[in-house]
Amino acid sequence: MFRQSKFFFPFTIVLLIVILLCAVAFGAVSIPIHDMFSGLLHVLQNKKSANIYEGVFIEIRLPRVLLCTITGAILSVSGVLLQGLFRNPIVEPGLIGTSAGAAFGASIVFVFAIRMSAEIRDLAGPLLVPVFAFGGGLLATFLVYSISKSQKRISVTSLLLVGIAINAIGLSGTGFMSYIARDPQARSITFWNLGTFSGATWPQVGITWAVAIIVFIISFRYSKQLNALILGEEEATHLGVEPEKLKRRIMILSTAMVAVATAFVGVISFIGLIVPHILRLLIGSDNKKLIPASMIMGAIILTVADMGARLLIAPAEVPIGIITSIAGAPVFIFLLKKFNLLQEKGSSYG
Amino acid sequence: MKRIIFVLALPLVLFSCGQFGNKEKDSKRDMRIVCVSKQLNEMIFAVGKGHNIVAVDLSSTYPDSAKLLPTVGYHRMLSAEGIISMKPDLVLHDNDMGPANVLPQLEKAGLNIKAYDIGRTIDSSKLVLKQLANFFGVPKLADSLNQKLDADLLTAKNILASIHIVDTPSVMVIQFGRAGNSFFVMSGRGGIPDKMIELAGGRPAHYDAKGARQINSEAVATANPDIIIATDYGFDKMGGAENFKEGIPGVALTNAAKNNRIYRFEEHDLVYFGPRTGENVMKLMKLFYPNANVPAK
Amino acid sequence: MVEIKNAGYAVGKKWLLENISYQFFPGKCYMICGPNGAGKSTLMKLLSLLSIPDVGEVFYNNTKINYTNKEGYSKYRAVLSQQVDISFPMEVEEVVMMGRYPHFKIKPSKEDIEICDEVIELQNLQSFRKRNFLTLSGGERQRVQFARVLSQIWKAPEQGSRILLLDEPISSLDIKYQFDFLKHVQQFLNERTIIIAVLHDLNLALNYADEILLLNKGKLFSSGKPGDVLSPENINAVFQLEFKLHQFNDMQFLWSVV
Repeated sequence: MFRQSKFFFPFTIVLLIVILLCAVAFGAVSIPIHDMFSGLLHVLQNKKSANIYEGVFIEIRLPRVLLCTITGAILSVSGVLLQGLFRNPIVEPGLIGTSAGAAFGASIVFVFAIRMSAEIRDLAGPLLVPVFAFGGGLLATFLVYSISKSQKRISVTSLLLVGIAINAIGLSGTGFMSYIARDPQARSITFWNLGTFSGATWPQVGITWAVAIIVFIISFRYSKQLNALILGEEEATHLGVEPEKLKRRIMILSTAMVAVATAFVGVISFIGLIVPHILRLLIGSDNKKLIPASMIMGAIILTVADMGARLLIAPAEVPIGIITSIAGAPVFIFLLKKFNLLQEKGSSYG
Repeated sequence: MKRIIFVLALPLVLFSCGQFGNKEKDSKRDMRIVCVSKQLNEMIFAVGKGHNIVAVDLSSTYPDSAKLLPTVGYHRMLSAEGIISMKPDLVLHDNDMGPANVLPQLEKAGLNIKAYDIGRTIDSSKLVLKQLANFFGVPKLADSLNQKLDADLLTAKNILASIHIVDTPSVMVIQFGRAGNSFFVMSGRGGIPDKMIELAGGRPAHYDAKGARQINSEAVATANPDIIIATDYGFDKMGGAENFKEGIPGVALTNAAKNNRIYRFEEHDLVYFGPRTGENVMKLMKLFYPNANVPAK
Repeated sequence: MVEIKNAGYAVGKKWLLENISYQFFPGKCYMICGPNGAGKSTLMKLLSLLSIPDVGEVFYNNTKINYTNKEGYSKYRAVLSQQVDISFPMEVEEVVMMGRYPHFKIKPSKEDIEICDEVIELQNLQSFRKRNFLTLSGGERQRVQFARVLSQIWKAPEQGSRILLLDEPISSLDIKYQFDFLKHVQQFLNERTIIIAVLHDLNLALNYADEILLLNKGKLFSSGKPGDVLSPENINAVFQLEFKLHQFNDMQFLWSVV
């Protein structure tokens, strides 16, 4: 069935490298190749960039591409994890409210940071927004988890319904922040909800990559248990898995990396939906293959999308959330139809 | 296989998109300016240096020639690379750039950046115009523009004093259509539109917003303005005063609607103070008091 | 040996099972029968450790069950349910390999792969290996699940017996598959295996079980040899049927008394 399996990884890794090279090579500013190399050389020699081309390359384009790439990986893997957890392909961090919660957490910082003392702001520095976003995302995910847990087992339908409610609360909370904010901040929030990689900085890249790699490694070690969950929670229990514990851990892992990405970039939806779906058609549902594959595929797709974002109407930019929505919404509708709007297959009371 | 080729070709296509968009004629420029503030753009044109501008932001719509320039996006959604790609000798802004990291990136790239704080009063706007003109080496132009502004405002004041105003008309400014079908009342918040209204001899229609951004149609009807100023976008989208009356709930019940006093006004003439504020005040005044003897321009 | 002692299970105020005690010995095939609501599934849940009894205890191989660390039990105790639906497409051989999950951490060993091969051959699934599980028919799916379950407990533990629990495994199958299945179950039985099954069909229970537990209203009504347990009196009391044992050639079957 999945004949492509053998060639899949070598091919996609090569493709990713090609796309990354294109992404750093092309942009609104035409950077001569020798400046790219000399810029890198100067970094290694711990010197400052010699000219504006080197500067743009090192300070603007490289961090942007790196942040974009890892965000694509994060969103896709998060999609895989959540879908495995809830045994439904129509689940992704946007849908269960994680991203909305993270956005709300970050919006609080924008509104109240002004009223905070300068000391706190200086202390926290670039970490302030992602920490609050993480808090917001966790709160949202925890709310969804505990509300739908009121039945002894988490049913997918109730989870999605609660996710819709949490999304609504998160988005209106963010909106409320924009109501009480002074004008410039308010615009920050609305724009923030559309997502953009413009303004990516090296500290952001560092934090996001660090969190992502840790989460990826841990998640990969759970692939076997996630596979077992495909049989259903009862069957998984018989195979030695503890579903509730697994669910809690996966939820925390997934939320952590999504929140960090959302904190720096804004809400980007549908990647967690599109990528796992395509990959399952190509290489099947074994999480041992699916998790690494979605890292690569997610990175590819979002990097290409961001190239579109910054090249299509240069020197202006299209917010990346718009591009992913245009591509993702049809896939979402297709999935809804294909799976007949949530046919719950799974554990039932004896 | 086809998919692979498409995926590989896509970046090349996108690359060329950007390239061709950037070719402009570099004629008769003293310098290349990127300015992402609508007020500053208007001022630069006003002091006769508009030909130096190579790119503006999305909201810079005055004068008309500004609309023809390439745009680097909305001023809160900029990209550093986009601005740099325009090879500016100078970047001008009014401390309202976003996302937050773009300005530091531009500074790190070694660009020449200048900020002017426009403020929210006529005086601050006049001051900025003077500073800008000084920078460009044409201080006298600022002086004459500012003098004209003062003269216009004085004329307006005198005319208003000469008419015997029985009832100051209550005025509401409605912006419609930017976000679907929602409408937004721009007056009544103590902002710049209110000041313009007062200078033109009206009073902003009072409503109890309870802190909300968007007031509803009941509040519009209750506030019952004598005059409604509809900003250009919404007015045109509706297709005229009659449709505006019908289309926006609550409007039809107002005095303004009943007396056919719904007027179209350019948004960028209302929302910030600039060199043409004096003229705009006069324009408003003529709408409020059609019988007054306003001198022709 | 599997033992359940004075066990009871309640949901709210209602006791689904009361005072159940029994010992299951290796080398035998036990079947649990009874009308709907008698407590068969609940008993199976207690035996498979899915549920913790509110009263009483469960023992595997003479050791009391430690519910906080159940992972080890999966190495020699497998459960096959009525119909296992999977939510994403998977290859048949991947599903079978899942049975070996309790036995390896990340990568299957050579032994795991060999066991899967043996089981697939035993169940005649070689031609299905690479097929998508979701495209199989009900009977084929159950065969695959059975293969998975077999691979899970293919090897008996060092001490004690392997335990196979079957919860109405054939109720949704075609007749041909039902008999096929039971034949395989019998072949799986040996002196180090305990098989406990919930079966609806009294005649199948009669002919395939070594011992029968007859449940009624949450209590153990009768237990022992099939012929004794499924007496006309018992059947009448529990199922409200006038049934008796008929002889046909060398076969026995239960049917109504007329």
